[in-house]
Amino acid sequence: MKKILLVLKVLPFLFVFGLLHYVLPQHDIAKITSTTEIEQNLSWANRLFYAQADSGNVASDKRYVRFINAERRKSWLFGFFPRDSYGVMVYRNEDTGWIWPPYFKFDTSDLQAEADAASSLTGEEQWVVITHYGWRNKFFSVYPNVVGIREVSGPDVTVIPWFNIFFFIFLAVAYFFIRAMWRQFRERSVDPLLEDAGEVWDKVDDHADAASEKARGIWGRFMAWLATWRKK
Amino acid sequence: MGFIRLVVLGFIAMTIVYFAVSIYSRSIRREKLEDAWDEDHPDGGDMAARDTYIEQGMVEYENGFRKKLIWLVYVVPPVIVATIWYVTNTQ
Repeated sequence: MKKILLVLKVLPFLFVFGLLHYVLPQHDIAKITSTTEIEQNLSWANRLFYAQADSGNVASDKRYVRFINAERRKSWLFGFFPRDSYGVMVYRNEDTGWIWPPYFKFDTSDLQAEADAASSLTGEEQWVVITHYGWRNKFFSVYPNVVGIREVSGPDVTVIPWFNIFFFIFLAVAYFFIRAMWRQFRERSVDPLLEDAGEVWDKVDDHADAASEKARGIWGRFMAWLATWRKK
Repeated sequence: MGFIRLVVLGFIAMTIVYFAVSIYSRSIRREKLEDAWDEDHPDGGDMAARDTYIEQGMVEYENGFRKKLIWLVYVVPPVIVATIWYVTNTQ
């Protein structure tokens, strides 16, 4: 039972962590090797990890999706510690539109052109910082979505995640603000009500005590019963 | 369509936040007035005078600049959305 409760307590945190890890932007230092466009037949298993149909289009599970193939520098702990090894990564490039996740991305075609322009195939090596959100899952054909591409001089560049810094500061401020609001609400609105209720209860209790004291013998008990009806 | 949905949902959310912050701010203001009165009158003072003092302070708050700051609840999120939109689409 305790284990079940523990799991139930941990689950919401895991869910929030997963959600933030999926939605918040991450930066990869990479070399773009090629760009492609592949038809995708989405199923219930991976539909959630693709964008909605373009504005004005019919919602279809079959469509062409732009992809960016890259070789990226691997890292530990969400990109904080870059490693010296490299691995391939495939990104998708889709509009997010107006709602979710709130990147308000509409420049998919331009971004694809930028990726082509920054491709390492055209000449010498070109390193880029790829800003993306999302996960890569090979079993369900799920790909992270590219949000921005920035050309950099080499693979040893340091990227400061400004957005995430501000986001977590905002989250902490919001948490303490809501907590302060809740405490104020309790102090000013709920506690006085509870105090009133407590006083009423005390009165009833005193009433009963006084009644039982008087209850000696049948006559006493009857008088005590009468007394409980009398106003104090 | 998505844009309309964003505007409608955003407006509803901002309105909820606006009212919540308004109630909270008013409550804080009233508590501060009560505390100020209690500090000046350790024995409690005249109850009627206390009420007028607090109501006076609340009227000042309702017409003051601090209350108008709560309208930022409607200003800041659209600015953030516009900024994210700009940064995402013009790089």
